[in-house]
Amino acid sequence: MIIYVLANILPGLIDWLFISANWIGETQDDCTKEGACWVFVNAWSQQSIYGSYPTDELWRVNLCLALLTAIIVSSYLLDKSLRAKISVPLFLLFPFICILLLDGSYIGLEKISTDFWGGFSLNVLLAAASIIIAFPLGFIWALGRQSHMPFARSVSIVLIEFFRGVPVLALFFMGSVMLPLFFPEGTNVDKLLRVWIVLILFMSGYMAEVYRGGLQAIPHGQYEAADSLGLGYWQKTLLIIFPQVVKISMPNILATFVMLFKNTTFLLIIGIFEMLSTTQTALSNSYWLGGYAAEGYIFVAIVFWTCCFGMSMLAASIERQLDTVKR
Amino acid sequence: MHHSASNPMDKNQEIITICDLNKWYGDFHVLKNINLTVRKGERIVICGPSGSGKSTLIRCINRLEEFQKGSLVVDGVEMIEDVKNIETIRREVGMVFQHFNLFPHLTILENLCLGPIWVHKKPKAEAEATAMQYLERVQIPDQANKYPGQLSGGQQQRVAIARSLCMHPKIMLFDEPTSALDPEMIKEVLDVMIELAEEGMTMLCVTHEMGFAKKVADRVIFMDVGEIVEQNAPNQFFTNPQVDRTQKFLQQILNH
Ligand SMILES: Nc1ncnc2c1ncn2[C@@H]1O[C@H](COP(=O)(O)OP(=O)(O)O)[C@@H](O)[C@H]1O
Ligand SMILES: [Mg+2]
Repeated sequence: MIIYVLANILPGLIDWLFISANWIGETQDDCTKEGACWVFVNAWSQQSIYGSYPTDELWRVNLCLALLTAIIVSSYLLDKSLRAKISVPLFLLFPFICILLLDGSYIGLEKISTDFWGGFSLNVLLAAASIIIAFPLGFIWALGRQSHMPFARSVSIVLIEFFRGVPVLALFFMGSVMLPLFFPEGTNVDKLLRVWIVLILFMSGYMAEVYRGGLQAIPHGQYEAADSLGLGYWQKTLLIIFPQVVKISMPNILATFVMLFKNTTFLLIIGIFEMLSTTQTALSNSYWLGGYAAEGYIFVAIVFWTCCFGMSMLAASIERQLDTVKR
Repeated sequence: MHHSASNPMDKNQEIITICDLNKWYGDFHVLKNINLTVRKGERIVICGPSGSGKSTLIRCINRLEEFQKGSLVVDGVEMIEDVKNIETIRREVGMVFQHFNLFPHLTILENLCLGPIWVHKKPKAEAEATAMQYLERVQIPDQANKYPGQLSGGQQQRVAIARSLCMHPKIMLFDEPTSALDPEMIKEVLDVMIELAEEGMTMLCVTHEMGFAKKVADRVIFMDVGEIVEQNAPNQFFTNPQVDRTQKFLQQILNH
């Protein structure tokens, strides 16, 4: 049944998507063939990937993306002892390196306001920068939640439940309306910074719950062994507990990462030229009123699917690698 | 062993002094008026039925458990509600657990070096050299780069003993170190413990291995329902128990 339907539809679909599709050209007028109008995507790919970032300065964005790839790959290849010494600090510095590079004014390059940042690259960098901060912050919240100190405990519970309970959309709305209230009057808090903070807090809430599951799975004997060696609280937590929690929770952590990645698309709510919003802008552009929405969305879907699929594959391979070390 | 080589002058020095120690879990009175002094180099075996408070007692000595009443002095440091004191005492006292409690995410060598590097601030190379020395003593230097999960129970327990020894403790606590092991592995662990005892380590050992008690113990302590019921030198304790409860207990474990 399904095969029958597929057999009927697929040839036509493939024809529309690829064979009689229009690939080359600059404007709508070049879309002369019957198939899909990919010219649209071509022409707008720079906008889709980089937003309105100045063409001459695109190398900065590329450098950030390359750096991210390099850090991820190197942490994968490096020896375990070096990983802690090199990869961890690099990861933690990464968001700030990106800010310096993309903004430019702090390091003597031309300043490029965040209004021009955008596109899929921003999506990726923002997701990475949020995850990197939420990764340790979520753990601290999870520790607070199981702490014996009433204050730390209640603050953690409120934070976790709030950022998990409120829909992301509402969080972004609050971020753009309410966050500025916490800053001194007159300071203009950058829109992107607000988004980043909201994403970090939202993500930390989810990570904290992921970690909580992991923390509960650590046998009590591990704490006792660490105590009996005379390790202090933070030594015990960072050297013994945290690595094991991360290992146990790895499947959930990666699933949460994929979710955050999807959630960055919500950025369009506050008008940043980000992946989906770029497409919408493109569609409402008068040149493209010919009704090529389908192509735009398929392109977005493919890019997103590729990224999420890639992350899932990576997750599976990390899990396999961890399995070999298990007892 | 160089660090605990006992000087005859020290022999009578008290290293653990427990006075009127009482502990409750809620309403449940786990430890009742425990009085116990341990001298330097003494080997003590603690036995008694399950649930009698043996683990709880030795866990009080390195403050894995807190107590509500009484006093406890370890090597001149009084156990009080103070992080500094607790950490000082923990550095003097090593502990071996029933279920080994090795750190599964670290290799054997890393398990051994963790304490010396982070607590004693030893350079890595020095910590590793010491660790290898102790691994040789417990006869598994070839396993240094494996993970705990790849070792047998007996090997894991020997690693756990080596891990404690790397911290150069003055006192070693053992909580049923062989009772989670398959019978054929018990001996390899007991052999290490006997060697340690012969070198003059101060040891408190909760175990039902009566052969071990007869061989190395200076004193055997019998506990029941939270009290020290009887204590005596091993030959007295086994041949001529003074209390009914001790007799019954000995019959049970010796006949099974
Ligand atoms: N965390 C705890 N909370 C309440 N009761 C406990 C706890 N730990 C141990 N107990 C109780 O204390 C008693 C003594 O335990 P334990 O010292 O482990 O005995 P043993 O080691 O002699 O078998 C047991 O009856 C046990 O049920
Ligand atoms: Mg016990």
